[in-house]
Amino acid sequence: MTAAAINRLGFVVVALLTLTAPWFLPLLVDSFWVDIYAEMLIWSLLAASVNLLFGYVGLLSFGQALFFGMGMYGVAIGVAKLGLGFWPAFGLGVVMATAMALVAGALAVRLTWHYFAIITVVFSLIFYFAALSWKPLTGGDDGLSFTMPPIVSIGEWELSLTDPTVQYYFIIAIVGICYALMGVILKSPLGSAFRAVKENDHRAALIGLNVYLIRLTAFVIAGFIAGVAGALFAFFGRYASASYMFYHVSGEAVVWAIIGGAGTLLGPIVGTSLLIILREELSHAWEHYLILVGVIVILVVIFAPKGLGGLWQALVRRIARPETPPPSTDAKGEDKP
Amino acid sequence: MELVIALGMNGIVWGLIIALIALGLSIIFGLLDIINIAHGDFFMVGTVLAWFVFDTTGNYWLAFAIVPILGFAIGAVIEYTVIQPIKNAAALSIVATFGLSIILQESVRATFGATPARLTAPIEETVPLFGLEYEVYRLFAALLSIAAIGCFFLFLHRTKLGTWMRAVRFDPETATAMGIPARRVYMVTFAIGFAMASLGGVVAGPITTVDFQAGVDILPFCFMAVIIGGLGNLEGTVAAAVMLAFFEGVMASFVDPTLARIGSLCLMSAVLLVRPHGIFSGSTR
Amino acid sequence: MTATPILEIDGIEKHFGGLAALGGVHATVDSGKLTAVIGPNGAGKTTLFNVVTGILTPSAGSIRFMGKDITDCSVHEISRLGLARTLQIKSVFHGMTVRENLWIAAQSRRGVFRPFTGLKACRAANERADALLEELQLTHLAGQEAANLSYGDVALLEIGIALATEPKLLLLDEPICGMGPAETERTVEKIRELSKRIDIVIIEHDIEVVFDISDDIIVMALGTVLARGTPAEISENADVRAAYLGDDDA
Repeated sequence: MTAAAINRLGFVVVALLTLTAPWFLPLLVDSFWVDIYAEMLIWSLLAASVNLLFGYVGLLSFGQALFFGMGMYGVAIGVAKLGLGFWPAFGLGVVMATAMALVAGALAVRLTWHYFAIITVVFSLIFYFAALSWKPLTGGDDGLSFTMPPIVSIGEWELSLTDPTVQYYFIIAIVGICYALMGVILKSPLGSAFRAVKENDHRAALIGLNVYLIRLTAFVIAGFIAGVAGALFAFFGRYASASYMFYHVSGEAVVWAIIGGAGTLLGPIVGTSLLIILREELSHAWEHYLILVGVIVILVVIFAPKGLGGLWQALVRRIARPETPPPSTDAKGEDKP
Repeated sequence: MELVIALGMNGIVWGLIIALIALGLSIIFGLLDIINIAHGDFFMVGTVLAWFVFDTTGNYWLAFAIVPILGFAIGAVIEYTVIQPIKNAAALSIVATFGLSIILQESVRATFGATPARLTAPIEETVPLFGLEYEVYRLFAALLSIAAIGCFFLFLHRTKLGTWMRAVRFDPETATAMGIPARRVYMVTFAIGFAMASLGGVVAGPITTVDFQAGVDILPFCFMAVIIGGLGNLEGTVAAAVMLAFFEGVMASFVDPTLARIGSLCLMSAVLLVRPHGIFSGSTR
Repeated sequence: MTATPILEIDGIEKHFGGLAALGGVHATVDSGKLTAVIGPNGAGKTTLFNVVTGILTPSAGSIRFMGKDITDCSVHEISRLGLARTLQIKSVFHGMTVRENLWIAAQSRRGVFRPFTGLKACRAANERADALLEELQLTHLAGQEAANLSYGDVALLEIGIALATEPKLLLLDEPICGMGPAETERTVEKIRELSKRIDIVIIEHDIEVVFDISDDIIVMALGTVLARGTPAEISENADVRAAYLGDDDA
């Protein structure tokens, strides 16, 4: 098999497992794992938004929690304060996150590297503190909870996330659409332009690419993805809270993305899953399990600097039949245009 | 008016302590190219160690001597085990130090506990100053911070090791070629960074609370001081820390502290956007 | 002279702090010719290229490219007008394959803000990239990451990237610097061949090569133009001999 075929096979297996999880997971482990898996997928979108910026455009954002928070509050405020239905509230959350990304990005992408990382933290902190102090609207520390509106209701019949199976499939549908969207974009001319900017922004400008606009576009797409994650999480928890906008949440997303393997589409899912599974499993065994999590994070960084995604690719490359004869050192099946 | 003066002075004192911590962050940043997410926790570890010293000996003054030494040792060990293996990868350093931050916080929670504690200042007197009764310990904290910062600059400019540090930062390859033991310099730099942050913790201990999460709040502030002061501009870092804290203190006497924090963050973004290389960039390369 | 200028540089000054790197440069580059810019180190040649391509903003003066004022244009706008350039320190997309390097440069002309178009559908860029691979004889390296190429191949790839943008004028900054004799010959041949289709300005220190391939020579010293003329005129010019050739021939 070629590397691309192995990757495709792996993808199909994971997709099938994901689709059938509500049936087989309860057979193997406690049924709350279905919920945890759904939660992992939501958080993985936040990590994916970091990965889109860092792994593909070369911008390290430490403020993605801001857009997550916007999506979350859009939904919660929409339902609890404005009395919106399911879809309008969802839309409000995503639009707020994307609009915020447009405004913040227009300023932030003028800076790069350290400065960009810092200004994204600063922006997210501004709105974190704003959300904390604007209690009437946001509930501050206590958060803002709401009752779930139905997705659709026709007469007596209604479809709602209060049904766990509906909730699970709704979440994987939306998460799946987001990953598909990113997959398509990354394999388009825009995706190539992202990588060109990441590799060498001076050269990118010299071949006529508008580096600023390309970075801004990536930032807005990432904000959109993080916003969708936040909106989903609000529905999932029936609740929004300022604490999810703190920079530590952004930091965790960066860790998930890099542990999973920056620059691989599905790396964020791997990284997020690993760390959330660790959390769930270890927290029963030892109260101070976080120490172990920290140690594992450091070990991964030291021994697998390209993340688990990088390990996987190296493994695939070793067992795969090379696709084209010579390229001696590097034959990444996935990255072929 | 008295409130403005009091909070303004508190701001300056706090700014000097932050400057001490941020200088450690700045040399680690500038010399090792490590974005140290755990730096706030180094400070937190300092406050906790000070608490332990006080708890066991009943003498807070001892902490001023013991904690920086402990901090130096811990810093050296961390540099050897965590930082050296990931050298030259700034993005990885963020993740590794994030892991470090988790470990430090959780270790403190496991030993010291999750409930914040208060330390009483070793000097409890007040003096009349600008028409109000001001705590002597805060003045002492300011003086001690200034003295420590002064010693640090003397060390950097007057000792062989300090000269090596500046040389390695300027051009690591040439420095190594000239026979400077770059690896050891990195280790000492990191250890000094930890020692300074932990000394900041001892100084700040009686002013703030001892809490395993204290580092999380202080970290963005330190980074702001480093960036606004201009990356690699150590004098600028000190000035920026004091100015930011003073600004926030004065603001806090008019509006609530959270709004004051938002105000200083907005100021910070404006500076970053208008003068990304720091407000004192005229004096640096 | 009957030739029409493609590039007109009028009184360009560039100051860094108090230092004048360019002190009022006047020069024109004629269409249909290969122009060389020579001069000792620090004469301001690369600074001039940086100003022309928009990397640096001039302190004074103006630049016209094909009759259009480009003084205040940004780097990518100037590139889109048809002015391509290679850098003294070779600059390619290291983590991308050779073909991807050429492809993105070709696609850049046709717009990259197409998030829902597959790469296969970008036929023009595909054809252009493949044609360039063939022309530069890099087809066998198409799937290699640029980081794995030899120095000479990187230099060639960089010229290829510039060509992929379909330039009217190509600025080459020391294209053969650091090359061995065989690579030098290959590159010089390529440049000579290209100059029949595209206007080229070249900065080069190798005087033999310069006199061999160029139609026009601009001599710079201390941030100004010292002389300008055909190779024959330049080699006769007493100022140039004194200021530049004299020191270098020794």
